Amino acid sequence: MINLLARYVNLVVLTIAALILISFSLPYLFPGDVLTNMSGIVPESEAQRAALEGVYKLNSSVFVQFWYYLNTLFSGNWGVSFSSQESLFDAVSIAFPATIELITYALLISVVVGIPLGFIGGIWHHKPFDFGVVTFSVVSYSFPVFWLALIFITIFSLQLGLLPLSGRVNLLYDVPHHSGFIIVDILVADIPHKADALYDALQHLILPTLSIAFVTTAIFVRFTRRSIMDVMEKGYIDAAKSRGFTTKQIFFKHGLRNALLPILPLMAMQISTLITNAMVVETIFSWPGIGNWLIQAIYQRDYPAIRIGMLVVSVFVVTLTFTIEFLSRAIDPARDKFERATI
Amino acid sequence: MPLLDVKNLTLEIDTGTEFVKALDKVSITVEKGEIRALVGESGSGKSLIVRAIIGAVPDHWIITADRLTWKGQNLLAMSNEQRRMIMRREIAVVFQDPTSSLDPSATLKEQLEESIPAELLDKGRFWQRAKQRKDIAIGLMHKVGIKDHQSCMQRYPHEIASDIAQKFMIAMALVSEPELLIADDPTRSMESTTKNQILRLLGGLNESKGLGILFVSHDLLAISSMAHTMTVLYCGQTIESGKVKHLHRRPLHHYTKALLDSAPSFQVNLPPKSHLVALEGTIPTLQHLPIGCRLGPRCPKARKECVKVPEERFIQQHAYSCHFPLHLPSAARSHTQNTNNIGTSTKEYFSTDRLYKSDNSDSENSNITSQKTEGNEQ
Repeated sequence: MINLLARYVNLVVLTIAALILISFSLPYLFPGDVLTNMSGIVPESEAQRAALEGVYKLNSSVFVQFWYYLNTLFSGNWGVSFSSQESLFDAVSIAFPATIELITYALLISVVVGIPLGFIGGIWHHKPFDFGVVTFSVVSYSFPVFWLALIFITIFSLQLGLLPLSGRVNLLYDVPHHSGFIIVDILVADIPHKADALYDALQHLILPTLSIAFVTTAIFVRFTRRSIMDVMEKGYIDAAKSRGFTTKQIFFKHGLRNALLPILPLMAMQISTLITNAMVVETIFSWPGIGNWLIQAIYQRDYPAIRIGMLVVSVFVVTLTFTIEFLSRAIDPARDKFERATI
Repeated sequence: MPLLDVKNLTLEIDTGTEFVKALDKVSITVEKGEIRALVGESGSGKSLIVRAIIGAVPDHWIITADRLTWKGQNLLAMSNEQRRMIMRREIAVVFQDPTSSLDPSATLKEQLEESIPAELLDKGRFWQRAKQRKDIAIGLMHKVGIKDHQSCMQRYPHEIASDIAQKFMIAMALVSEPELLIADDPTRSMESTTKNQILRLLGGLNESKGLGILFVSHDLLAISSMAHTMTVLYCGQTIESGKVKHLHRRPLHHYTKALLDSAPSFQVNLPPKSHLVALEGTIPTLQHLPIGCRLGPRCPKARKECVKVPEERFIQQHAYSCHFPLHLPSAARSHTQNTNNIGTSTKEYFSTDRLYKSDNSDSENSNITSQKTEGNEQ
């Protein structure tokens, strides 16, 4: 187990190192002045330029520059945005929790809805309920996320007027920034009309979460359904039947665990899709998350912001993917073990 | 009354375009305390019979049978729950491939303890049950010859060798104290030492507990040392069944003869470097089944009558399905002339009586043969 953990940590560290190297090289590859790309400040005089070059060690060798880049990266001194001259670290620490909050709820809905649906469909496959499940998963899998989000807005916000159109919480409620997660912030904040604020925040959450969860649920349904169908045809299920166990016993003791084991690594593979969808949906709903922020940065050719945003998102995806991979390996006793070495 | 009585079991499977009779009027019985061997080549439908008996066939396959009874109760007509209870307590199955028949994500301990029926846990309060479960499990593992139970209990199926897994499967089968053990080729792909251990284990259980065993295998050597009666299957048809001794001494069906001849250990005076006898051709596939007697195209004595499926005929306890059986020239001729004459079969009975008497007189001789085969095996 320790060995496995060490291998995964090694993998994560190396991947992140490669990402840092790429992000370090970006200011040199972007068009324009390297110094401006790096710091986000346009030097107004030769003296300021010389001072900035001194700070960013541009007149030293590449290795010194990289070492300095690492230092600034880990000390949280990420430079300022081109367009707004705000600290990038502050901007990211406000925007990123918003995204994480969104995809957490979306993932939660997908797991809670998708996996049971897939199980029921797989157990009763080729029955009317299963046809319903398959139809639902194919339809929702085929929806483009941005279009679905626009349809939701048209129906629920514009025509029915049930749910808010954009944003995270109504501006009437002044929620102080604490953890970055709006629900948590409202719960811990000491503000008047707390319940109303919570209700309002939840209303704001519904549409973006559903738009993201729709596709992910479909994917989970398909994975789970396939997996349980495969498992129920295995020899040990027949053997369990021949031992006279009840259907319930067979399903919960032998079917469920074996069907869930291969789903976990597949879920890990869906994280990048989830993040991409979240970025699109954030833009549409003006959700103040990292995706929206990054797309704004791209529009404005805000190179320092693009560089840091790309690094943060990819480190997040890599870490999460490897964590789930590691978990799935750790709990699956039969995966990648030496079959010949038996007693 | 036999424990298991199967008469004219037909199993039609869906090949996509049409239904094919994978099993065609198969009959087999297992008495209490009897070891019945079911032999046939690969692809002759041995495992399908097992699956049909235990009810593990897909819903869209069609099973029809004149009789498929367990102690007189019709297995096909009863509810799932009744059938489940019979499988739970009275019939146990050991499958071909032990490692794939064990749940890969549970330890052996969990799986063995799960198989213990709640009725067997009688003593003590509920907090003592876990201990009792463990004791029963350990006792069973010792009984099937796994001495090192400590190291086995905590392992997962992929961590143990296949022979231990097979012993473990037998332990799981014995846990509910069944009356019939269906062993579907339990010694497949095992080397002879391990195989002998498993066979001795099964034989011992039969003697000590009167456990009825339906032993499915293509391994004639293994069967001859152990089984009391034998049923020969070819391409989904039962072609001959009877006492092992009788089948060895005087096979009535051409296929049985060819099967026995192909195993050199059964031929007492086999000269060195002589040809081994085998039938031409191979077993037909499900898509190209011949009509009538399915051995027809390969049978050395096939004639035009063989396009009709031969009826099962009996000489005492020895059943065969052939129009032109070996060793019975007169009976065969009378059959071809008058197939449905009941009088003929009585005549046949008397005419073959002599044949069986002589068989009994040289039973000493056959004992020597079987000892010899055992000697060869070890």
